[in-house]
Amino acid sequence: MIGVAPGLNAPARLRERLADLYGAYDEALGEGEYERWPEFFTEACVYKITSRENHAAGLPIGLVTAESRAMLADRVAAMRKTMLYAPRIMRNMTTGIVLRASAADGMRLSASFAVFQTLLNEPSAVFLCGRYYDRVVEDSGELRFAERICVTDATLVPTSLIFPL
Amino acid sequence: MAAADAGTSSSLARRWPAAGPTRVPNWVYTDPDIFAREQERIFDGPNWLYVCLDAEIPNPGDFTRSRLGTREVVAVRAADGSVNVLLNRCAHRSMQFCTANRGTVKEFICPYHQWTYDLGGKLLGVPFRRGLRGNGGMPEDFRPEEHGLQRLAVASRHGVIFASFAQPNETLEEYFGPKILGLFDRTFDGRELKVLGYQRQRLPGNWKLYLENNRDPYHASLLHVFLVTFGLFRLDQRSATEMDETGRHAALVNQRGEQKLNDATAQMRAFHEGLKLADPRLIDPVREYPGEATVVIQTLWPNLVVQQQSNGLAMRQVVPLDAQNFDLVWTHFGYADDPPEMTERRIRQANLFGPAGYVSVDDGEAMLLSQAGIVTDDNAECLVEMGGRDTASAPHTVTETAIRGLYKHYRAVMGL
Repeated sequence: MIGVAPGLNAPARLRERLADLYGAYDEALGEGEYERWPEFFTEACVYKITSRENHAAGLPIGLVTAESRAMLADRVAAMRKTMLYAPRIMRNMTTGIVLRASAADGMRLSASFAVFQTLLNEPSAVFLCGRYYDRVVEDSGELRFAERICVTDATLVPTSLIFPL
Repeated sequence: MAAADAGTSSSLARRWPAAGPTRVPNWVYTDPDIFAREQERIFDGPNWLYVCLDAEIPNPGDFTRSRLGTREVVAVRAADGSVNVLLNRCAHRSMQFCTANRGTVKEFICPYHQWTYDLGGKLLGVPFRRGLRGNGGMPEDFRPEEHGLQRLAVASRHGVIFASFAQPNETLEEYFGPKILGLFDRTFDGRELKVLGYQRQRLPGNWKLYLENNRDPYHASLLHVFLVTFGLFRLDQRSATEMDETGRHAALVNQRGEQKLNDATAQMRAFHEGLKLADPRLIDPVREYPGEATVVIQTLWPNLVVQQQSNGLAMRQVVPLDAQNFDLVWTHFGYADDPPEMTERRIRQANLFGPAGYVSVDDGEAMLLSQAGIVTDDNAECLVEMGGRDTASAPHTVTETAIRGLYKHYRAVMGL
């Protein structure tokens, strides 16, 4: 379900395609198919994870900053090959997706996310929740994120953030 | 603290292993009585504790909260430009009166009964102090000047603010000693600083594990693929492990090397000759300090790690919660006069650090897994013999001497 800001015209087909994009993103992350993750972004994308505190203060360093699809691929390579961490399953849930504006540089959307973490032999727990601020564009026949800023409500991360939100 | 006092706690029964500084007993990471004594002797003791940066509170009335051990303080810029560090606890009913992380105020008002304090912690007003229509009020002999906020001793150097619950008999400069002070001044050379972002993470481990981690150059060459592969910190490169005379402060110094197979990298499973970044802008450091070192990681006793790794600068504040948990607060910074390209570089390189950092994730998880192993047996011991059994500084990093130095000082302070 994609909501639309008042006064904005969004054909049903476009809403369906946006819903598919958001659904496929959650599915890829929830199933741990991180190799698919960079493909949701344009080549020159901006992807950030930061806290509401940093975001509100306009501070540029958050938890993750990537300035290209290649940097996202580097992060996938690092989490597959180089980083040490205890095994876990992450599940992303995105809701309340609203198309806010549409302009020449793409569509602006926002949505709420909740990410649950399940460490091996431990109960599932809320890991982080917050809000996505997105810019989605047409890119070779696909809708892709040109920009995704993940703003976490919490200032505090439980232990470490390994996988993308 | 009187020795007789300690007799009431279980920790008195604790005996440090006979092998001395080459062993660390697991109970220092788990025992709540040890933790309580640490708060008393270390965090409430005559030490200069890191509070915040000057740049976080530039103007009169600007404040920021900070946690020193299990206590919380508010650092506020006074009208005359000086900094006051006040306990965040109302003198009336102990309420935490400040609940914002930062902001600007004219005075502090406790929301519970509106007791009002000036920026120096002096009690200015008590509602209904004289009662109402002849009823109630504070006793005649109530003296507001005796009920201000607790104010800490404050010392600052080149934009970094420290405070103490006890009045240390050393200046900040004497406290660091000449060698560590020289390395401190290398990063904090008097230029104005600029905060670039905050990160916080809660780690399920004893707070000392983090100090050890940053005083242990041996692990850096084995655990951290990113550091090792890209030559950002490696024990075959020119390096040193420095300490002050007491052993309480330490610095790991290293000089960037190449991604090349040699007799050392051949022993590092973490070394990947073929690992290449798809977007190499992430690791594109430029030299910005005099001298040959490209990395200086300082642990300043008891609650601060100063990170200068290539162009990545951060204060890492260690906040113990209890014997088995601590928070790590990262304040990333640059200099106010950084050109935009340098700020961009610092932002990119920050991807190596913090709760999601390519390097720091390894350390966070190492804390978790260390504690998980430690809690299974309080009476077991950790072995610290790499590089010998002494506690001297070393002109290399194939050593755990700085961990031994830490516990030499710790035992003296804790009476263990």
